[in-house]
Amino acid sequence: MRVLVAEDLYLLRDGMVRLIEAYGHEVVATAATGPETLDALLKWRPDVSVVDVRMPPDQSDEGLRAALAARAEVPGLPVLVLSQHVEQLYARELLADGAGGIGYFLKESVFDGDQFIDALERVAGGGTAMDPAVIAKLLAGGAATRRLGGLTEREHAVLALMAEGLSNQAIGQRLFLSDSAISKYTTSMFGKLGITDDEAGNRRVLAVLTYLNSS
Amino acid sequence: MQQVVSWVSGACVGFVRACAVTVVSMLVPAVWAAAVAWGIWWDAANPWSWVGPLVLVCVGTLALSRPVCRAVRHLVGKWTDTVVPAGYRQAAPVTQLSTGYWWNGHSYERTRRDALMDQRWRNRWKDPATWRDLRFTGIVPFTAGVVAAVVPAGVVVAVLGLGRPDLAPRLVGVLGLAVAVASAPYAWRPVEPVTARFLRPSPAMLLADRVGELTAQRADTTIAQAAEIKRIERDLHDGAQARLVGLGLSLATAEKLMETDPEQARALMREARAGATASLTELRELVRGINPPVLNERGLVDAVRTFAMDSPLETTVDADVRAPLDPPVESALYFGIAELATNAAKHAHATRARITLAQDDTGLVVEVEDDGRGGAEERPGGGLEGLRRRLAVFDGTVEITSPAGGPTRVRMMVPCASL
Repeated sequence: MRVLVAEDLYLLRDGMVRLIEAYGHEVVATAATGPETLDALLKWRPDVSVVDVRMPPDQSDEGLRAALAARAEVPGLPVLVLSQHVEQLYARELLADGAGGIGYFLKESVFDGDQFIDALERVAGGGTAMDPAVIAKLLAGGAATRRLGGLTEREHAVLALMAEGLSNQAIGQRLFLSDSAISKYTTSMFGKLGITDDEAGNRRVLAVLTYLNSS
Repeated sequence: MQQVVSWVSGACVGFVRACAVTVVSMLVPAVWAAAVAWGIWWDAANPWSWVGPLVLVCVGTLALSRPVCRAVRHLVGKWTDTVVPAGYRQAAPVTQLSTGYWWNGHSYERTRRDALMDQRWRNRWKDPATWRDLRFTGIVPFTAGVVAAVVPAGVVVAVLGLGRPDLAPRLVGVLGLAVAVASAPYAWRPVEPVTARFLRPSPAMLLADRVGELTAQRADTTIAQAAEIKRIERDLHDGAQARLVGLGLSLATAEKLMETDPEQARALMREARAGATASLTELRELVRGINPPVLNERGLVDAVRTFAMDSPLETTVDADVRAPLDPPVESALYFGIAELATNAAKHAHATRARITLAQDDTGLVVEVEDDGRGGAEERPGGGLEGLRRRLAVFDGTVEITSPAGGPTRVRMMVPCASL
């Protein structure tokens, strides 16, 4: 994969480049400010980019805005956004165009190299990857608690992993369950919530997130 | 018909008000008249007979000026929308010192009673409001008092005149009645502008009050800031710092064990990673408590929206804020909203909340409303009092309506000049 890394702190940028290269991917460019990121995204059109939210010149949400602007220009351009904090608001903004190829993670997710690279590859493939922290916040909200009251604990866990963007197979591996058990849970869960299941992972995540978001 | 009824009721109300204004404003002149009568009754030609009346005039005027002003202020406040602040100087607390003496802010006294007495006299003498009251009691009888007195005077003339058998006094009586009836709805009204003009606190008094207020706020802010810094220091010391020490230890041990016991070294590395994640989570919470990142990145409205999404309440946010706000105001309002929403969930057991932010020419108004059980009240040292103090720094105000059984509605206002 050709990867772009946009991060203003040298140590983190360097570490990320080394991690990505250690997994056999190529880092084609790096950027350290918001405008640089936007230029690089549009110039290189990488298979996937890792973008920090807070960057110079204003130290506000330049990275996020650069990613959104680039995706407005090139729909579905795969971007994995990293931040010191995750917010539902930003997750919703990133997912709003419905084009897929979006990841949103806490910076410390790079501690687990395997999972991080797995998420990066999923995003590059047009999938969705959300940090468990975002999903936990989403599921703890007032409207979600009311709507999900009827789910069993297992169904709740499956829903959370599904919203993170995992496939049935991956969910099975995480929960130590067989594929058939997972599809049983998903069917009953979608039945209870009244949304139609769509096997294609990305649209399914969107369906779940849209359902949770609409209060 | 309806017009006639409303006019008659207006006239009756006006009559009562005119009589009230006459009585209140003529109280001090009545004392003066009594003193003069007393002097004449004794012996008008002998100067010594005027000593008593003179004392009566001085004491009576001094003693009556404050009650008269209070009464006028009360009546005007009750009848019209004009609110005239009293502006009397507040007495400082009287405290007993370790020596056993009492300190009233000005002098040491042997007993509490002496201290209070001394303080009262000093306050009376030095308070500019006392002199303003005296001036007002001199002015009001000859302005509002005279005008209001037309009505009762007309009635008196009518009663006296109509009681006589002759034609001329009767005509005068009818005239008096006509004047009384015609002027009844209007005669009390001059009291409002006169009060507003002469009884409001002078600029010097307003400034003195403002200085007192600001001094108190400055002290509050300093204390709050010190407490906040202390809290942050403690959190860092007990949390992140301690965890980083642990992390370093784990890594050092892992390095040592790398060759002899790689399996345990790996376990230690995993532990170190978990420790790093935990300290990051802690730091994130700490940062959120100091200044929520979204507030920094996007401003108040988006920060409130984010807060609403994360809240266990079903929260709707309506925002109409155009101009960018000052970061300190944003921060105060954000934490105010967070405090109120948390109260709604924790104390009022609400399930829904509604947050409205609106900006107009006068300032910013934020309303937080829940469907909880109400009964919220301000306690000393409580969250709502803290909220009021945080907003007072920007001349902001807080209004709380929370009847038992709910719902609770809190309105925070920050004037334009502070935005």
